[in-house]
Amino acid sequence: MIKEAINYLSSPLYSFTAFIVLFGLAMKRIDIVGTKKFGLALLIGVLVIFGWMLTDPVFFTVISLPDNIPIIILNGLVFWSTWYALYKGHQNDLRIERGEPPIEGTPENREKVWAWPNLVYTELFCGILCTIFLIVWAIFFKAPLEEPANPTWAPNPAKAPWYFLGLQEMLVYFDPWMAGVVLPGLILVGLIAIPFIDVNPKGNGYYTFKERKFAITGFLFGWLALWIFLIQVGTFLRGPNWTFYGPFEFWDSHKVVAENNINLSEIMWIKLFNTGLPKNIFLREIFGLIATFGYMFGLLPLIYKKWGKHYYERMGAIRYYIMVFLILGMMSLPIKMYLRWFINLKYVLAMPEFELNL
Amino acid sequence: MKREPGMAYDTKVLNKIFAVISVCFLFVVIWVVLDDYIRPWKAVQIKALDIEKQKVQEKIKEIDGSIDGEKLKEVKAQIAEAEKGLETKQSEITKINDQITEIQRKIYVQNMVNGVNGSQAAAYQFQYEHALMQNHPEEAKKLKVTFNDFKKKEMEGKDALKGLQAEETEAQNKLKVIMADKTAAEKELKNLVGDKERMLTALAVTEKNPIWAMRNAPFIDYLDPTIKIRQYVISNVTNDMYFQQIPKIDRCTTCHVFIDKPGYEDQANPYKTHPKVDTLAVGVSSAHPVKEFGCTSCHGGVGDRVHDFNSPAHIPQNAEQAKEWKEKYHWHEPHKVPQPMIPLQHTEGMCIKCHTQQERIPMADKLNNGRKLVEDYGCFACHKIEGWQHMKKPGPSLEKIDSKVSKEFIKNWIWSPKTFNPNSKMPSYFNQENNSTPEFKAKNMAEVNAMAEYIYSTSRQYKPFQKYTGGNAGSGKELIETIGCVGCHMVEGIDDKMNAVGERKGTYLTGLGSKVDPDWLVSWLKKPSHYQPDTVMPSFRLTDKEANDIAAYLLSLKNKQFADLRFPEINKDLRDEILVQDYFSAFETVKAAQAKLEKMSDRERTMELGKRSISKYGCYSCHNINGFEGDLPQIGPELTKEGSKPVEQFGFGQQKQVPHTRQGWLTQHLKTPRIWDVGVPKVFRDLNKMPNFYLTDAEVEAMVGVLLGQVADKVPLAGQKRLSPGEKQYYDGMKVANHFNCFGCHNIDGIGGGLSTAFEDQNYGPPYLTKQGLRVQTDWLYDFLQNVHPIRSYVKVRMPTFNYTQDQLNKLIAGFQGGSNQGTFEAQAKVVWEPGEKEAAKRIWEEMSCTTCHSSGFTKDEPLAPDLHYAKKRLRADFMDAWIASPQSFHPYSSMPAFWDDGEGGLMPAVEGILDNDPKRQIQAVRKLIQEFGYDTNPKPFPKNEN
Repeated sequence: MIKEAINYLSSPLYSFTAFIVLFGLAMKRIDIVGTKKFGLALLIGVLVIFGWMLTDPVFFTVISLPDNIPIIILNGLVFWSTWYALYKGHQNDLRIERGEPPIEGTPENREKVWAWPNLVYTELFCGILCTIFLIVWAIFFKAPLEEPANPTWAPNPAKAPWYFLGLQEMLVYFDPWMAGVVLPGLILVGLIAIPFIDVNPKGNGYYTFKERKFAITGFLFGWLALWIFLIQVGTFLRGPNWTFYGPFEFWDSHKVVAENNINLSEIMWIKLFNTGLPKNIFLREIFGLIATFGYMFGLLPLIYKKWGKHYYERMGAIRYYIMVFLILGMMSLPIKMYLRWFINLKYVLAMPEFELNL
Repeated sequence: MKREPGMAYDTKVLNKIFAVISVCFLFVVIWVVLDDYIRPWKAVQIKALDIEKQKVQEKIKEIDGSIDGEKLKEVKAQIAEAEKGLETKQSEITKINDQITEIQRKIYVQNMVNGVNGSQAAAYQFQYEHALMQNHPEEAKKLKVTFNDFKKKEMEGKDALKGLQAEETEAQNKLKVIMADKTAAEKELKNLVGDKERMLTALAVTEKNPIWAMRNAPFIDYLDPTIKIRQYVISNVTNDMYFQQIPKIDRCTTCHVFIDKPGYEDQANPYKTHPKVDTLAVGVSSAHPVKEFGCTSCHGGVGDRVHDFNSPAHIPQNAEQAKEWKEKYHWHEPHKVPQPMIPLQHTEGMCIKCHTQQERIPMADKLNNGRKLVEDYGCFACHKIEGWQHMKKPGPSLEKIDSKVSKEFIKNWIWSPKTFNPNSKMPSYFNQENNSTPEFKAKNMAEVNAMAEYIYSTSRQYKPFQKYTGGNAGSGKELIETIGCVGCHMVEGIDDKMNAVGERKGTYLTGLGSKVDPDWLVSWLKKPSHYQPDTVMPSFRLTDKEANDIAAYLLSLKNKQFADLRFPEINKDLRDEILVQDYFSAFETVKAAQAKLEKMSDRERTMELGKRSISKYGCYSCHNINGFEGDLPQIGPELTKEGSKPVEQFGFGQQKQVPHTRQGWLTQHLKTPRIWDVGVPKVFRDLNKMPNFYLTDAEVEAMVGVLLGQVADKVPLAGQKRLSPGEKQYYDGMKVANHFNCFGCHNIDGIGGGLSTAFEDQNYGPPYLTKQGLRVQTDWLYDFLQNVHPIRSYVKVRMPTFNYTQDQLNKLIAGFQGGSNQGTFEAQAKVVWEPGEKEAAKRIWEEMSCTTCHSSGFTKDEPLAPDLHYAKKRLRADFMDAWIASPQSFHPYSSMPAFWDDGEGGLMPAVEGILDNDPKRQIQAVRKLIQEFGYDTNPKPFPKNEN
């Protein structure tokens, strides 16, 4: 019963929604999240649930694939470092509230020490420990080699390396050109651009949350919800034919799901106006064009009025517009996901004639 | 904690941490080295050493027992005596030995000098030629002098060497003469104990001494280990890496260490010798030496993986073995292996991979049996299998069915053939797992009705040419048992021994009295080709009485219960519903389909459904049906590459109990083909149509082997069985022989011959056709097959008259010739007597009393062997010689005595004192005699049945 419920609830619509709701709550109530008690409770809770899930043979099979072990490790590390940063930030926020300097700013923490042996020696330790860890890992888990590549018979499911599974999951919602080239390009460019856009000196050299609420929330949303979460979905919840499988569901390669997606132009012209598609592609895609341009440019005044004025003044026009562009680009992913789930939307703008499908 | 300025940590603590993790690191490194070093196959090879040691010790014991102790003493005494004799000549021996040492020293020096001179000469020659080429005549002149100088020295040196060598030989010979006695005695000793010494050497190899340990120690075992991976690289058979074909690398012998060494048959796997090491595979003298064919070429699996028991994809034969392996080796189903090992019972299937042009493959009895089943049941008719396209349709023609059986019978028959004839090869389409609901049953009945209507209304007229006049069932039964019907048919009620032949080329004959028209039956028996010109059923040249007797017996077999069945009339509503829903509305709307139906008359609708249903169930695949001529699609999926079809592509439906393997699916599919529909909601037209043949487990196993062998592997030409022109002829001929089921009666070169073994005295059964091309003359065979004439007048079994085409005849005869490497036609040499030979021949003829058995034409006795007067026209001279020398090598059962056989595989004179006691000449003389008195004609052929 519980397992079936979990299977049902882990479908992307529910689990993604739950994840961003929880994420929003966490960002709101950092005073709870950023405490040791919460961290411990969360750790115990997760371990108990994970332990219980491991007793399921199907779940265990998927989890214990040699390919998937790094992702489990990744989950632990992401969990730890996110919580730890928030905890540290919260501690400092409290100190700052009390009028004290952040912990990193106390005189004893500002004292300088020698790189040798303090840094180099400990780096050597880390190097040795990592090597030990990798060797032991290599002894216990053999390289997950597969059969020779057969061009006429792809493995099912055909999965990218684990760190690209989030991208592969994006392919469900976007045209390969978008999910494979444009969005990853934007991610890279955006990450490179951050230090140039972000000229706020606060938080330099010390942890804080309150002083950088918008920046931290924005980054963590992209990182946790749109990257890490999608990797989880792509790894554990996508089986043969890239069909969704609940964590306790057997990967039956014959599973059939009805997914009939339609384009915005078809929704408008055929469903709403009950006519055929116009021959002229620009006329045909007029709604998509309006929606796209409306989203990219029409929203600008609204954003400016509601949130942007403050940032515009602080950052200047160029930085401001680049930032808004990047955020709009990032947000297009969850928007498209919800459109797919709610109205089976295939493409907002479908112009296969120009290889342009959004 | 006190900290120094500028320090975050206490250095001493850091040092301690460093010490601890360094030690950890050291241990981990040792661990990983050991993890790499310790391999399961090493344990296997070490244990193999013990086994080998034990075997060698046993052998040494055996040899010790067989050495003659007395003789050994004697020889040793001889050696001692010879040594004593040499004592007096000791000074002479020493002198010669010194001389030899001195000569050898000189030879050594001379060789070095020659080498220097030779290389200098070559170098100056090059410089000289180079100078000439560069136009430096002055320099060239000087160089020429130096070159000539060295050349001359070289030639002189070589000459001196020859002189020295001659001197040495001379000295050695002198020594030999002196030592002659001792050398001879020593040689004898070696003959006596040489085997033992060799065994002792072999024993030393199995010792685990310090040197052995060092050679196999970690780190240094890359130098020259004895415990190592052993492999064969097979370039004639390749592994398909999809982008490239790469040579097979089979490392199976790493663990199967004694697979190619006879003598380890009693060991458990992996130490066992291959069970067919000398004949079929692995052994050097076998048909498939491991060096050329490897292991996985036939067994499948991944030959280059030796990590553990699971890595080469071993596959157990059955559930028990799987259980045993799980306990012993932690066996599990292989993952990600496209072609795991073929279970042992199906291995012969893999022969097909390379032997593509042979229908029957020597030494592959199980495969041959499986292919025969595939032929008899006609799998190839609905499923395309590459290489099987030449086969005829397995079922009888329905083009003139009207005159043979009643329409009522046909309906009940189609509905349930096994109710009438449990042994019928006709499979069941109805009342199966997926179509037994009342709705589907009713629809099926409408289809059966319509098919019968179609077949009958298109049936052509046929009038039997003979009337059944009644006959004696008893003598009919006897005829069936004696003349050879059981070479193709099993018949109800006859002698069990005859039915045990088990030939099923023809139908199992039962209940004919409730089935066929008596007049049709008599006509059919007399001349089958009158009713169906392309039938393989031959004429046995029956007289009217014989035909009526046989018919009387067959008609006495009745199945009254079946005959009384009445098939329900066609349900017209359902007929119309099927037409509209399943056929007409395929590309049209239901409304348009309905309109189309309205335009058709009642009769047209039935005929339409009949025709559509015949197409749907593929009846035309096995039977000739009017309106279904030409190249029609085969309704089943192609099976040419069934053995390589990915397991994921087999539909297991809801059948969780079926093992998720190729052989698991195929086995279940052959047993209950419709089971995959169980639990799967399907509409009527989508039901699985594969019929149920009700096969036995043994039949299924044999057929699964054939299917698993249909792999997609691309075998390079060099690895395939390529037929020589003679073999090609032979196997083409054998296809014809198989078409007419010659194998049902005759054992042809070791294959087939069920009927002949049913005879207690096989001399009274169909003869073995061993090396038939060597035996008979081509023109005789050509004539005989068309106009059968008596050879052994005393046998009751009949060589029937088949309705061959000229092409088939030619192929058959050329096949026999090609198989024996004989030309097609040849002139028979005239008999030329040597002086005295004829008299000798007559004497042998008398002494051997040939006419006791070959009495025809000589005495009035009942003959027990063929009339030799006709041998001249029938047999080839070479064969007669070979036959007289050893009849049993052709017919193991022959009662002809082997007079010239010395019992040890050689020949001896049968009559002492004539023709120089040369057995070959004696045999030739008798043969010449037989040829001389032979007739130039064949016996009068049996009259054929004309109508």
